[in-house]
Amino acid sequence: METTAYKTEMEFFVDMQRCIGCKACEMACAECETNGHESMIHVNYVERAVTIQTTVQVCMHCDDPVCAKVCPADAIAKDDFGVVHSANNARCIGCSNCVMACPFGVPKKEEKYDMMMKCNMCYDRTSAGKKPMCATVCPSQALFYGTREEISRMRPNSTPVNKFIFGEQEVTTKVNIMMPKGSTHLKVH
Amino acid sequence: MQHSLNKKAAVIALIATVICVVVSFYGSRKLQNFDPALIAYLFGTLFALFGGIYRYCVWLQRPPTWMYFKRTWQLAFTGKIFAHIYSLIADAVKNLLFQSFIYPRSKKRWIAHFMLASGCLAAFAITIPLTLGWINFTLDPASALDPGTTKLYAANFFGFKVMNFKLGSVMAFLIFHALTWCSWFVIAGAVVFLVRRLTNAGLIATQTFEGDLLPLILLIIISVTGLGLNFSYAFMKGIAYDFMSVTHAIAVILFLVWIPFGKFFHIIQRPAQIGAHIYRREGEKKGMAVCPYTGDKFTTQMHVDDLKTVTKQLGFDFTLEDGTSHLDYSPEGKRSLLAKAHLKARQEGGNLFG
Amino acid sequence: MAKQPTSTDKIINDFGPHLNYAPQEGYAGRDEPDATVKTHCCFCGMQCGIQLLVKNNKVVGFEPWMEFPFNQGRLCPKGVQRYLQDNHPDRLLEPLERIEGTGFKPIAWDNALNRVTTAIRDIQAKYGKDAFSVLSGVSLTNEKSYLMGKFARVAIKTANLDYNGRLCMVSAGAGNKKAFGLDRASNNYEDLEHAEVIIVTGANVSETFPTLTYWLWRARDNGAKLIVIDPRVIPLARTADIHLDIKPGTDSALYGAMLKYLVDHNLLDHDFINQHTTGFEDTIAAVKDYTLEWAESITGISKEKIRQAAELWGKAKTSFLLHARGIEHHSKGVENVLGCINLVLATGRIGRPYCGYGTITGQGNGQGGREHGHKCDQLPGNRDITNPEHRKYIAGVWNIPEPELPGKGLTAWELIEAIHRGEVKGLLSICFNPLISLPNNNYVREALEKLEFYVCIDFFLSETARYADIVLAGSLHEEEEGTVTTAEGRVVRIRRAVTPPGNARADTAIILDLAARLGEKERFTYANTEAIFNELRVASKGGTADYYGITYQKIEDNMGIFWPCPTLDHPGTPRLWEDYKFATPDGKAHFNPVEFREPSEVTDSEYPVVLTTGRVVSQYLSGTQTRRIGKLVDLIPEPLLEIHPELAARYNIRQRETVRVTTRRGTADFPANIVETIRKDTVFVPYHWPGRKSANQLTIGTLDPVSKIPEFKVCACKLEPLGVFTKPGETHAFDSI
Repeated sequence: METTAYKTEMEFFVDMQRCIGCKACEMACAECETNGHESMIHVNYVERAVTIQTTVQVCMHCDDPVCAKVCPADAIAKDDFGVVHSANNARCIGCSNCVMACPFGVPKKEEKYDMMMKCNMCYDRTSAGKKPMCATVCPSQALFYGTREEISRMRPNSTPVNKFIFGEQEVTTKVNIMMPKGSTHLKVH
Repeated sequence: MQHSLNKKAAVIALIATVICVVVSFYGSRKLQNFDPALIAYLFGTLFALFGGIYRYCVWLQRPPTWMYFKRTWQLAFTGKIFAHIYSLIADAVKNLLFQSFIYPRSKKRWIAHFMLASGCLAAFAITIPLTLGWINFTLDPASALDPGTTKLYAANFFGFKVMNFKLGSVMAFLIFHALTWCSWFVIAGAVVFLVRRLTNAGLIATQTFEGDLLPLILLIIISVTGLGLNFSYAFMKGIAYDFMSVTHAIAVILFLVWIPFGKFFHIIQRPAQIGAHIYRREGEKKGMAVCPYTGDKFTTQMHVDDLKTVTKQLGFDFTLEDGTSHLDYSPEGKRSLLAKAHLKARQEGGNLFG
Repeated sequence: MAKQPTSTDKIINDFGPHLNYAPQEGYAGRDEPDATVKTHCCFCGMQCGIQLLVKNNKVVGFEPWMEFPFNQGRLCPKGVQRYLQDNHPDRLLEPLERIEGTGFKPIAWDNALNRVTTAIRDIQAKYGKDAFSVLSGVSLTNEKSYLMGKFARVAIKTANLDYNGRLCMVSAGAGNKKAFGLDRASNNYEDLEHAEVIIVTGANVSETFPTLTYWLWRARDNGAKLIVIDPRVIPLARTADIHLDIKPGTDSALYGAMLKYLVDHNLLDHDFINQHTTGFEDTIAAVKDYTLEWAESITGISKEKIRQAAELWGKAKTSFLLHARGIEHHSKGVENVLGCINLVLATGRIGRPYCGYGTITGQGNGQGGREHGHKCDQLPGNRDITNPEHRKYIAGVWNIPEPELPGKGLTAWELIEAIHRGEVKGLLSICFNPLISLPNNNYVREALEKLEFYVCIDFFLSETARYADIVLAGSLHEEEEGTVTTAEGRVVRIRRAVTPPGNARADTAIILDLAARLGEKERFTYANTEAIFNELRVASKGGTADYYGITYQKIEDNMGIFWPCPTLDHPGTPRLWEDYKFATPDGKAHFNPVEFREPSEVTDSEYPVVLTTGRVVSQYLSGTQTRRIGKLVDLIPEPLLEIHPELAARYNIRQRETVRVTTRRGTADFPANIVETIRKDTVFVPYHWPGRKSANQLTIGTLDPVSKIPEFKVCACKLEPLGVFTKPGETHAFDSI
């Protein structure tokens, strides 16, 4: 982690309305060297009985990560780039606090390992200046990794938003979500 | 971590350290059985004790940790106490002694970790009491004077004789070389991990030198120099003995001092896993939480309720307008709600694309 | 012989399908590969660029190829998992012979090949040359496709050669030849980017061509309106501006009504129609009664939605129309395609930037594979085997007297019928798994069992290969050099990453060896794959699919060349018809009158529900490869019957209840997936699975009279809930009969 080619101008932009539910990201995520062939990204049907809508969820890398705060074992850390890392496997006690507290439903309890694992934005790739696996392969570019200039050029009628409202709680994140132009936040509840 | 000095933790740690000193003073029969060569190790051990307890207490004061700590003991001492104790012990043997949770991650990693852990734990069990003077070995005076008989040794614990064994017996061989076996175990395990850390691209990306590599290197140095001391003494007429003994001492003391702060703290922390198991098991008996969105059970209701308390203590408030909480939803429910909210916002914006 | 030598269970136990997963932390060596090979994904006509990581002659992983222009690193789940077909426990490592009662046992190459050539000679001596047939496939490279055509006609000397392209895009090919005189998508996909209106009809792009989604979404970011025509709310349709939820089998009625709307509202490009087309008057005469009301009654789509779609299409300045198997797999597949082309020609939006039209070719080399003559009526360069000049030219290239060149043979389905009737006695197949992919597969199985000799070249023991007398262990996509032509018409390079494992051999080597043993060594000697390509270039020269100006070097320098490319200094043709000189004899684009006809089987009181079939994102064709890759199977472990809640309620079918689906041809059981995303009169089943899970036990073998494509996409069925409930993956998706 000392020597890194992490490109700070590159950002993650998600637009789940573009998602076609193909799960290429899920397959590709498992190819990331940091998670030992487990997939950390979530693609699920929102309500299959009535719609084909799927959603795709990467870790949003919160500015003030709830997962890290509720971890009783100090196993989750945020680095200088704002990347919230997967559980330190020596410390994680598999309690699932992070799984249940994350407002985005991201961390995964791997029951067989009795351990939590989560998206670390393909740190093996991003720290080497490459794009994360999911955003690289995503055929719909519902997951986009690039600069702010690139996205505003490609999608001029959308605005990246990184503020989310969950009732009383406001959460800001490193990862952006693409919203109608001029939006400032996404109110979930 | 939140405080510059946590007074409560410092007081507890100080008391524990003083108790240890007192016990050791009397346990070594007022320092009679104390080996002065181990003085540096003694201070290292005492520091590790103080630091470990201090850090543990600071850790326990964190809201989520305290919640688990409190609940574990509450749950362990309600209802069928003996059944709980039995399952606690069974779980401890399975997960602490044998670290069986590592096995599914990789068989090789489990073997390596088991060797590393059992080597370390056995070495602690031997060296710490020796350093504190709790254990010593004495030569039976009668056998020592009689050149015709095999020399008889006694092992003493807090000055009380626990057992006798003859020099040259299998028992003697095992006891006097116990640290040798530990060293080999530690070296084997640590080398496997070191190689893994130097070749696995995923680990290379996420590890740090001081957090992940240095501990392994330190363990290898301790073990190799420890073995070297023995080897030098037995076969090399003491060549390089001083060098190795100094290196060994520095490495061990570094290791001891570091326990509370670095990677090795997980040794102290790991029993919390047993607590998490009890929490889950007993919580299930009390009832599961059902996600209002998916309609599926997803964790225990106690877990959801406790998390509401803990998140509030930590400064988060996921309370919704209708008085329910975002935390009432399962991970899948939360993701779907977000997707639906996004769809709604996009539709209101008039265009799904652009 | 051609019967299964032993029980299906035993064969599955010995040869799979078994599921292959990467080791827990990936294959060793992927961090430091010996080679990173730039090639293409083998699954589907997009031919996405991908880099395979090779260690010790094994493919150990992949790395996205960011520079390849079509996909720029993007991949679908099949592409991501494609590397797991290498290193597979089911891989055939040596030739096999059928042993009655036991299964298959290894046999030496020499013995295996001698048995094949002896059988060919014996059958041909006894029953005539054409009694030995060849079935090929378009997942093969251009070089192998070309070679198979030459091999069948010059070495085996049979007319009966056809290919699985017959189940793919032949309707589109026939339609395009009628209208344009040439069979290729008119544009590359970059022309989607600024198209104002896009129609996607009968193409579940997000599951079958996921990487094409990118270009559609790019267009929408630029303001394009998307019209999706499909009986189901496919992922593309969910967000589409207009979704026309069409009743299966009524496509041409919709296009007819839209054309009439364009005529009635004068949304036509009269200059283009007058100067560059023929047949317009007849064509509009054919649709004069196709009012919106009539179309609503036939297609089940509200007339208002049809009007909106026609209005959008009519008023656009730029547009792109894409179609795929959904409109082609019909007994009137060619008519459906012509209906689409009529809409394009009426508005004159072709041959210009962002004005495009094309079929989306399905198979890996669906485009190139259908051009170079392993099709019963075709010679290389998309030449016609009945045309004396074409015959003469190719006979010259192959150095044989023209009369020795066999004539037109039977199409794939007709060939199966001829085998069933006992007229054709021997079969060599490669790259084809008809037991899964042909309709009415109980009939196909009966036909296979009547063969006197069947030899199959394959890398896994496919469901059809289980009926073979001899199985020749061939090569995977990554084990041979070559070229393929993508759905855009771009000729790209396939590179060998590894050599065939064990005693398996390259397909080309097997074919050349067989040809030599059949006495044709001289005509089948090539220094390397490039030499075959160079012969193909010459053979295609002057044909409509002219590859003469394309060389390996040129492909590599440009990351692909679009044919036609007639000369060495020609840059290739990404967009056709820019000069409005069409490839028809009169140089004009042809309107073709299309009158609506019902599908060959319509619902009645006995079989009251429409059955349509299709694909899922995690499977490719008959699944020979993809049903062996663990994570792809886990993604969608079994075929489900998609059914609307209202239709389900009528039969009292509950979620995940097993439903027996019966047609006049067969019966199959599927768990129900009750969803509002399908028409109320239609059920859908994906087809990739074998045995009792095969949807093609139910489908109908009626052929399009022109293209001879079977009508997979519509037939009549009845439903019966069985009261049995299973969890996902519990129903044995590999169950065989």
